[in-house]
Amino acid sequence: MQKKLCTWFRPYHAWLFLIPTLLGLFVFRLGPMVAASILSFTNWDILAKPKWVGLNNYQELFSDPIYREVIINTFEFSLIYVIGVIIFGLLLALIVNSKVKGVTFFRAAYFTPVVTSAVAVGIVWNWLLSPHYGLVNVILENVFKLSPPAWLGERSTVLVVVAVVQLWKMSGYYMILFLAGLQDIPRIYYEAAQIDGASKWDSFWKITLPLLSPTTFFVFTIAIIDSFKNFEIIYTMTKGGPSNATTTLVYSVYVNAFVFYRMGYASAVAYILLIVIGIITIINFLLKKYWVNYQY
Amino acid sequence: MKIFKKILIYTLLGIIVIIMIFPFVWMVINSFNSEESIFKIPPKIIPDKLFKKDMFENYITVLRDYNFLRYSLNSFIVASLASIGQIFTCSMAGFAFARMRFRGKTIVFALLLSTMMIPVQVTIVPEFLLMMKLGWLDTFAPLIIPSFLVGTFGTFLYKEFFENIPRDLEDAAAIDGAGPLTMFLRVFFPLSIVQTTTLFIIAFMNNWNDLLRPVLYINSTKLMTITMALTQFQSQYSARWSYLLTGAVLSILPLLIIYIVLQRFVMEGITHTGLKG
Repeated sequence: MQKKLCTWFRPYHAWLFLIPTLLGLFVFRLGPMVAASILSFTNWDILAKPKWVGLNNYQELFSDPIYREVIINTFEFSLIYVIGVIIFGLLLALIVNSKVKGVTFFRAAYFTPVVTSAVAVGIVWNWLLSPHYGLVNVILENVFKLSPPAWLGERSTVLVVVAVVQLWKMSGYYMILFLAGLQDIPRIYYEAAQIDGASKWDSFWKITLPLLSPTTFFVFTIAIIDSFKNFEIIYTMTKGGPSNATTTLVYSVYVNAFVFYRMGYASAVAYILLIVIGIITIINFLLKKYWVNYQY
Repeated sequence: MKIFKKILIYTLLGIIVIIMIFPFVWMVINSFNSEESIFKIPPKIIPDKLFKKDMFENYITVLRDYNFLRYSLNSFIVASLASIGQIFTCSMAGFAFARMRFRGKTIVFALLLSTMMIPVQVTIVPEFLLMMKLGWLDTFAPLIIPSFLVGTFGTFLYKEFFENIPRDLEDAAAIDGAGPLTMFLRVFFPLSIVQTTTLFIIAFMNNWNDLLRPVLYINSTKLMTITMALTQFQSQYSARWSYLLTGAVLSILPLLIIYIVLQRFVMEGITHTGLKG
């Protein structure tokens, strides 16, 4: 509609207003992305001059058995996180969507872990989960007479535990997103269904879920992006250990670049990460048409 | 039947509250405990320093002897400057995207949105190289500048808001002789007080909580941010849980206060854009 209207602004005005954004975009986002792709073909280690090594970094990466584990860890973490936040976020949203007194208090309370730092969250859970003296194991041992594992010390449990802590921290955020979606569904559908004799259970599956699908898709997309951002929680809780059991691609970039100073190799890892994210995002958008419906 | 349903809902709400905030409550309680009492079995519900003369001993030690006052101040400086920067950058970009027509608008906007999907680890190695070349290592600049200039969430927030302002306002201002800059500064920006507050809070939280950049760029003890100091403290004095927990409480306290006072802005900001920074 505005297209035909004249405007008070010239195109160069827009570019002037965009100077800081463009500076940030090119200097801190796009520029480094290109630079990282070039670096991934070198053996740069900060000290010596970088030398072109072709595909060596990628070859080393694919022949290293640790990397198979790192990639599996990355997917496992993402899978637990994405499925977890969607189910738990939706459940929380359904509960706080009920019209009872004081529900805003509960919403705010559930959101609290989102605003706290991953570092503080990591420290608290490290303490609660520490073997023998941590509160979780104290309760399990003394009240339930179980012999619980050292959650963060064993390869079999550690990744799941860290992913669940991150999911615990973030579920309040997904609750808010789902809540907004739930409140957008027109009430008349539920009233009509009730008149036709549908149960609450039926309306959830036949009305809520299908009409919520655009929100679910959006949440799904955000959750996938978010699931790769796990550096802080891993750094505070496990430092990638024990023996690489919680090393994900994101963490591996950090370790290679800033602990071993293998900048070139780290850039190759970063590019693998980028490709993984790219593939998942494309699949996500391709599958969209099969389950998301935008019409009410 | 009705009352039964209500009891059910409140029970459920109550159980989840315990799951979500008990760890923090337990942490605060134990920050008033001495080191020996933290690992007592059965756990002490009432901490041994509560309402005693040395009640705040852990806090005083952590703030003064372990310099956490300094680290909090550093975090405050970094987070404030970065957030003010985001307001500056994002409000101007949002205004341009919302009210102006220019070639390449969709491309620039799409680029901005798509870079949001990329974890910072993908670009951090060249960014580090750049900061090194600029001589900015071990200063606050690398913690502030990248966040200052990149803000997808904020741009989105302002764009949505400025798009919905009636065109008459723009016309009236232009007829009164306002140029683009005056129009933005005097007419549009002052209207966006809610968006500005929201962005400030969310950007402040994100920057306060950031860990990667401080860990990479800061070497001097006196420049450490509070999240970084906590992780350092964790690896150096891993046995001192009383101080570590106190430090953790101190690191989330400012955010918690801001959140409790201004939670409406946080929630609405996320609901409107679906993003959090």
